[in-house]
Amino acid sequence: MIRLDRLSKSFGARPALHDLTLEIPKGQIFGLLGHNGAGKSTTFGMILGQVFPSGGAAYIRDVSVQAHRLRALQGVGAIFETPAFYDYLSGWTNLRILTSYTRRLPKGELMETVKFVGLEERIHDPVRVYSHGMRQRLALAQALLPRPELVLLDEPAEGLDPEGIHEMRHLILRLNRERGMTVLLSSHLLSEVEQMCDRIAVLNKGRMIFEGKWTELAGDALRYRLDIDPWEKGAAVIAEFPGAVLSENILMIPPGSDIAGIVARLVHAGIQVRAVEPVKQSLEEIYLTLVSAPA
Amino acid sequence: MLFLTQFRFELLKMFARKRTYIGFAAFLVMEIFVLFMLSLPKPQAHMRHLIEQNGYAFGDYYSGTTVAMMMLLWTTTLLGSLYLALVAGDLMAKEVEDGTMRMLLCRPVSRVRVALLKYFSAVVYTFALIGFIGLTALLAGLIYRGYGGLFVFAPEQGIFALIEPARGIRLYLAAIPLLALSMTTISSIGFFFSCFNMKPAAASIVTLSVIFLDFIFRGIPYFESLHPYFITTHLSTWMHIYESYPPWWRMTKDYCYLCGLDITCLIAGAAIFLRRDLK
Repeated sequence: MIRLDRLSKSFGARPALHDLTLEIPKGQIFGLLGHNGAGKSTTFGMILGQVFPSGGAAYIRDVSVQAHRLRALQGVGAIFETPAFYDYLSGWTNLRILTSYTRRLPKGELMETVKFVGLEERIHDPVRVYSHGMRQRLALAQALLPRPELVLLDEPAEGLDPEGIHEMRHLILRLNRERGMTVLLSSHLLSEVEQMCDRIAVLNKGRMIFEGKWTELAGDALRYRLDIDPWEKGAAVIAEFPGAVLSENILMIPPGSDIAGIVARLVHAGIQVRAVEPVKQSLEEIYLTLVSAPA
Repeated sequence: MLFLTQFRFELLKMFARKRTYIGFAAFLVMEIFVLFMLSLPKPQAHMRHLIEQNGYAFGDYYSGTTVAMMMLLWTTTLLGSLYLALVAGDLMAKEVEDGTMRMLLCRPVSRVRVALLKYFSAVVYTFALIGFIGLTALLAGLIYRGYGGLFVFAPEQGIFALIEPARGIRLYLAAIPLLALSMTTISSIGFFFSCFNMKPAAASIVTLSVIFLDFIFRGIPYFESLHPYFITTHLSTWMHIYESYPPWWRMTKDYCYLCGLDITCLIAGAAIFLRRDLK
């Protein structure tokens, strides 16, 4: 659905993005991660033809955005970190104005989308009285009109309360599952990315440092949190197992190893085993390890 | 067809904003102020002297149309430039600053079309504002002085005209669209600067600076030979309609110059906007 071919951008002498090559297949939810200034928004801007690349090109459905922007953007919706509207007009009028730049839409289709994002009761109020969550929903509504195949969501849950974040996540997942939409998402909320995205790319200082399934980064080792007594004697028993590493209270064992065997040995050696709890490495831990690693 | 829908929404965006009406309100206040000034004895004595020394009766020519004409002359040149520059300077720059331009350009719409829509809405605003000023001034003038002959005195353009009542009203009404056409150039310059990567206020200030500098330099005798090249020389061409035999050829040339400038501003502004990064 999206193909980025050696996409680069410099603002004056300052490089913002360097040789980004990426392919996002149809129907996926793809996460673009990176710290502030890593190049995420610049990438979004170039995919939408709002920022001109210094090198390379972006393609949507194999149509070059740079050469044929209008054709490439057919069937694309987007929202930005801080969605902007004509605050003095109603949400409904805003939707009509924005959609008029794509094509004339029947009122029924507009209302259907308004209901989908749960804004039907306040859609005729001026946008200036909307809460942040309502603005985000309105932004999502305009991105979904008229029925795009691809949506680009730049920080869609930014500034939302936990309930709003939960709702936004479910809306995005529904879009992907029910309408088969491809979603390119950037977010600082890594737990959200973890729950939604099939694949991710991590940008650091304008360079892509990872692309793939984030679980691949967690490695294959199995991790358990151990509570044993006495600790020193238990550590000595564990050390006898090839490949097993005990660091603080985390035990890592190679794939194929059996935790039950280790526990049995510990018990046999007279060690009290109070708890054995599998530990999953979070995306946040992986991300922080990635971006703090030396280039 | 879609262009017309988009244009309708562009006008809705413009005329639904309260700040759009600041200019309209300011001119109403200004007109009341001018009426007050004209009711003072000294300015009236000056007018009386001008009219009567040419053998005409002051009462016949110091009419509602004459007062309206004076209000139009005194208020539009500087204050009109100010409000047109404010609105035109906002056109592109404000949408870029607010972020609505990015929302809009997520859609399959060309930047040239967006620029055209904005420019045409500025033209509509210019005609609406000048039309409003012209008609409210006439209404206020008629209430204040009643129906009568039209007296026009513009020494810089070499115009001294005393026109009978019916023709006076007709010429006054015909002058309004001509004045609006002249003032469109200020909106065009505002639009041009609004396409640059600058704040809306900066675009308005630069536009006003261009007009005021042009006006100041034109007034310096040293630059008299360059008069045909100053914008403000051509802006006042609408007044020639009041002459007994209007110099149509000269007026056409002036409007060609202004329209050429408008088109240049539109094309250059659109070209700049076309190549800009929006972030």
